[in-house]
Amino acid sequence: MVNSNANALGIIFPNAYDSYVPELVNDRLMASIPFAGRYRMVDFVLSSMVTSGIDNISILVRNNYHSLMDHLGSGREWDLTRKNGGLSIYPPYSEKGMKVYAGRVDGLASILPTLKDQKEKYVILADTNIAVNFDFKAMLEAHIASGADVTVAYAKEEIPEAMMKNQDFSNLYFTFNMDGNHIKKIYINSEEKGVQNLSMNIYIMDREFLIKEITAAFVRGFVYFERDILAPNTDKFNIQGYEFNGYKARICDMKSYFDENMKLLKDENLDGLFAGNPIYTKVRDDNPTRYIAGAKGKNSLVADGCVIEGIVENCILFRGVKVEKGAKVKNCVLMQDTVVECGANLEYVITDKNVKVSVAQELHGTDSFPVYVAKGQIV
Amino acid sequence: MAKEMIAMLLAGGQGSRLYALTQKLAKPAVPFGGKYRIIDFPLSNCVNSGIDTVGILTQYQPMVLNEYIGNGQPWDLDRLYGGVHVLPPYQKASGSDWYKGTANAIYQNIPFIERYDPEYVIILSGDQICKQDYSDFLRFHKEKNAEFSVAVMEVPWEEASRFGLMVADENDKITEFQEKPKNPKSNLASMGIYIFNWDILKKYLEEDEADPNSENDFGNNIIPNLLKDGRNMYAYHFDGYWKDVGTISSLWEANMEVMDPENSGIDLFDENWKIYSRNSGMTGHKIGANATVENSMITDGCRVDGNVKHSILFAGVKVEEGAEVEDAVVMGGAVIKAGAVVKHCIVAENVVIGENAIVGAMPTADEKGVATVGPGVVVGPNAKIGPNAMVSKNVEGGEEVW
Repeated sequence: MVNSNANALGIIFPNAYDSYVPELVNDRLMASIPFAGRYRMVDFVLSSMVTSGIDNISILVRNNYHSLMDHLGSGREWDLTRKNGGLSIYPPYSEKGMKVYAGRVDGLASILPTLKDQKEKYVILADTNIAVNFDFKAMLEAHIASGADVTVAYAKEEIPEAMMKNQDFSNLYFTFNMDGNHIKKIYINSEEKGVQNLSMNIYIMDREFLIKEITAAFVRGFVYFERDILAPNTDKFNIQGYEFNGYKARICDMKSYFDENMKLLKDENLDGLFAGNPIYTKVRDDNPTRYIAGAKGKNSLVADGCVIEGIVENCILFRGVKVEKGAKVKNCVLMQDTVVECGANLEYVITDKNVKVSVAQELHGTDSFPVYVAKGQIV
Repeated sequence: MAKEMIAMLLAGGQGSRLYALTQKLAKPAVPFGGKYRIIDFPLSNCVNSGIDTVGILTQYQPMVLNEYIGNGQPWDLDRLYGGVHVLPPYQKASGSDWYKGTANAIYQNIPFIERYDPEYVIILSGDQICKQDYSDFLRFHKEKNAEFSVAVMEVPWEEASRFGLMVADENDKITEFQEKPKNPKSNLASMGIYIFNWDILKKYLEEDEADPNSENDFGNNIIPNLLKDGRNMYAYHFDGYWKDVGTISSLWEANMEVMDPENSGIDLFDENWKIYSRNSGMTGHKIGANATVENSMITDGCRVDGNVKHSILFAGVKVEEGAEVEDAVVMGGAVIKAGAVVKHCIVAENVVIGENAIVGAMPTADEKGVATVGPGVVVGPNAKIGPNAMVSKNVEGGEEVW
């Protein structure tokens, strides 16, 4: 075989951290939250895997996954309609004895037979709450070079306050005590201030290792991969950290969702996320965006298919947004097909898909508390 | 399994009057309307009309076109039975032939058509901008019990002599065909879009091929022969938007008309008749803090920090701070550097316009030229490109080209 592919398969957990943004996952999941004008959160990790040479990717969906199925289709847009490997979506109940999983352990246990059948030597696990253009190939090389049992990606950053506030027994996050690249101790839901080694929940390990550990853990009724397998065994396993210092957008509540969108208005951030390998997404075949006489666009990121007649400033407009004559939209994130009618005035507002803001309505949030309008609502 | 109607799309044209734009690609592959190529229009029309089998006849500079069409997936034309097929001329045991004319191109591909055993064949042209429902054309063809139908447009009488004209009676039956006549008897111009009963088309193609004096052309040979034999020939009136973008000025004009769908009649924003294209895969476009954008169309991947007025920017165009772009068609990947002034012109793919360079000029009473900068050209800083210039080689900094 020509060595263009990574010898690894990918497994994505699209429901991880759903509860961080309850409004946005009302009828979707973390992976299908729209982000950055024309993408869904899953596009980033999925495209990164593909551009890193991984073409066998499984998605373990848990609930609310219709929007994700619709988005991914057969995986063609990510070049994942393959005879060998390609994209596999594993819904709950697809096999006898499978239940809606609670954590990675029972999730992975449900696909053990498939996992055993694969040919790739390594497995990469990832969540979708971080939008990142990630080089999995480089991390895999580091994993192989270090001879680790498990390599985990982390970033040196402060633990976002929202994560501390939002923590519960299903929303675990992890920080590391490290000696060089070696992870000596794993802390769960730490409330330490200052810069920490904060996990990005991207793991690489030998497929055989994963099968063995998941089997053992599942038999004991364990649920969480990190809490139940890694954290108690830092002495037994060689766990290495892989520092990521590139650009990333971590969603941990509504405010961070808003802020991470807005941050992309800075060219260096936009380039940080997009200048590397391409990020693929579902194609909508929209026409180019049209600025009609009287329109004023300033400091905004705008997807195709929009019609702008009003004033748009410091905004992220998703595909098919309409801003009518005399409407004014400032510091807003407007998702797909939002219509802002004549004379309406919006500031610090997040509209979900298909929202309509009627003629001359006023809607004002603040920088620290943006107003959110749910999918399909008419204001 | 027979198909009711398949399409044969003539895409071999050089488009020689687009000179700098068609040095390295066939006319149907010329970019149009911000994110399309000309061929997206007939292909999207086919799939929107329910035609799922299209043969694309290529000859001149087919590389870009072949790559663009690929397996036809962007147009939903990747089918198990049918779909889109690129049909270049090929070598046979008896020798090899280029396509000698439009009719000969179809003649050489009779075996392709016969695989699908169609009742009707529609012949399309790959170099027109037009949104047309071919299924309505076919309905007309069947209603008239025609053997041949041609789509026609009413043109102003004073321009009629520039076209191939169909003279038809009150039942739309064609009685005469005039090719660019001095004294037009009709103002029904042929759009070069034909529906044939397959048995009739095959018969006339074979007879035409056997005639050593024939130019093997639909307009000059096949249609006159059909008329001579008194076949059932009908003219189908089309009154939507149609433009043969064969010249720089008509290509520029059609692009400008896309920005004015309310008046021009070419609406790319129609959800019920989408024009499909191969996606650039770039992220949304970014309007900078000091940019102004007025009355324009902008697509994915653009970064606008300058001033853009009444212009179309294709995927990935960069307009730097202080640059001015007006009445311009700027194709994919072009970079307009700081302070450059780009007006009333076509800037082709991957062109770089240097700092403070001037390209084109707004039209005056006696100067209406559309300056054209060919693909990949680098225009140096402070250079000047006159309104009638057609540039296909790099221009040094400070140089003037008229």
